[in-house]
Amino acid sequence: MSSCVLEEETFHRCCQLLLQQSDQLRDGWSWEPVQGSQEGYLKKTVLRSAVINLDPMWDNKRASSDSGPDQQGKGKEQPVLVASVDADSNIGDINDDDYEDDGVYMVSEGCRQVLQYEYHILYSCSYSTPVLYFRVSSLDGRGLSLEEVWSSVHPNFRLRLQKSPLNAITQQEHPLLGQPFFMLHPCRTEEFMKPVLQVVQDKHRPFNYILTWLSVMGPVVGLDIPLKYASEIHLATSFSSTDPD
Amino acid sequence: MADDKDVLRDVWFGRIPTCFTLNQDETTEREAEPYYLLLPRVSYLTLVTDKVKKHFLKVMKPEDVGEMWFEYEGTPLKWHYPIGVLFDLHASNTVLPWTITVHFKNFPDRDLLHCPSNSVIEAHFMSSIKEADALKHKSQVINDMQKKDHKQLWMGLQNDKFDQFWAMNRKLMEYSTEDGGFRYIPFRIYQTMSDRPFIQKLFRPVSPEGNAHTLSDLLKEMYPAAIPNEGEQKRYQVVIHGIEPLLETPLQWLSEHLSHPDNFLHICIIPTPSD
Repeated sequence: MSSCVLEEETFHRCCQLLLQQSDQLRDGWSWEPVQGSQEGYLKKTVLRSAVINLDPMWDNKRASSDSGPDQQGKGKEQPVLVASVDADSNIGDINDDDYEDDGVYMVSEGCRQVLQYEYHILYSCSYSTPVLYFRVSSLDGRGLSLEEVWSSVHPNFRLRLQKSPLNAITQQEHPLLGQPFFMLHPCRTEEFMKPVLQVVQDKHRPFNYILTWLSVMGPVVGLDIPLKYASEIHLATSFSSTDPD
Repeated sequence: MADDKDVLRDVWFGRIPTCFTLNQDETTEREAEPYYLLLPRVSYLTLVTDKVKKHFLKVMKPEDVGEMWFEYEGTPLKWHYPIGVLFDLHASNTVLPWTITVHFKNFPDRDLLHCPSNSVIEAHFMSSIKEADALKHKSQVINDMQKKDHKQLWMGLQNDKFDQFWAMNRKLMEYSTEDGGFRYIPFRIYQTMSDRPFIQKLFRPVSPEGNAHTLSDLLKEMYPAAIPNEGEQKRYQVVIHGIEPLLETPLQWLSEHLSHPDNFLHICIIPTPSD
């Protein structure tokens, strides 16, 4: 029963193993300690080109109800989309035809730009799970709004996220830094990790909870986990969630 | 079970007299009068300040109005903390009314969460309740509730309906007598002396030997400096809802009676005023 939860000690061990692999693969993860305590978090910063829709389509729909004149641009005073328990009303009508099969986001107003993504992995003692926090900024240092971040999420993921609002991206206070970050809510983590852990335990496979978890959560917000983590390293840490059998 | 109803009522109806003034740098068409309001301690700034916004918008042009935010003596106020926590943490030893400055421009992105609508407050509030129940009952109580029950908790807070809120919230306060308390106590300890916004860890209401843990036991483990050594002068005040509870108070009782509606026990540690 308790096999699905991640104890804090195990979290730290998994992080250490991930860091070792990251060093070998030059994947850029580091450990950021919190001064005066044993706590801390894994951190990685990535520059990535992404299409950000500065004037998202859902804004057009809402413009009539929410003080219209604020046309393009900052977007930070604009209404938040999901983040709420009754987000269901916002879903649905994202048109699949707007996207090509390879997932390129084909919205005309979107503009491609280089963005800095900063990812943090923290431990949540309430849920006994890891939690993914991140923030995104343009190269001139401007932080992206929740709407802009949403527009950069791959359409397939967006639909899935919006169907389960509690799994959605929300803006939250970073519990160690006290600054606003985006977060993927951890309260369903145990649920989706369960089947993976079942397989791992039945087949006695070596595995790193954090890697497996990250391979599910990361891609949603643009964080890809190189397959080499699983294939190249034969420490007792390779992960098995992608194994078909 | 929470049975000390008077305490629950006193906590719920706690108010802070507040004077809102407009930031001097805002562009106005004529001078803005200050606005006075009794703020409920257990609510959220952005949930109870519609009137404040309306009041100041009267003297401003729409194009000069961005997202509203609040500041006290240079510190941006985090709307996602309960009002009482903000007051105890930043202003507890000042003269009333509490003077808050209202801003409509230069939103401090690096310090504050955006709050574009009440549904964001609701999501934040419900997410706190869920986290608290994960700690107290492994999420069993909150997951057994229906969507309308969740709504009842939120509506109770939003509309300041004590009975409506507590009719549902009492379920979240239950525990079996053999356990003698919750699984863990949902608490947060705030202080202004470091960058870290708060301390939150696992702590049980009962010791392995079966003794009830007290506020003092919690602080000894989480923030030992808050407990004065014998013969030493008190350096810190430990404040919950504007009062300093006895350190011998059982933690389980505090959790049931002095938690905020979000089901967390918010504890502020502030330097003793040197007067």
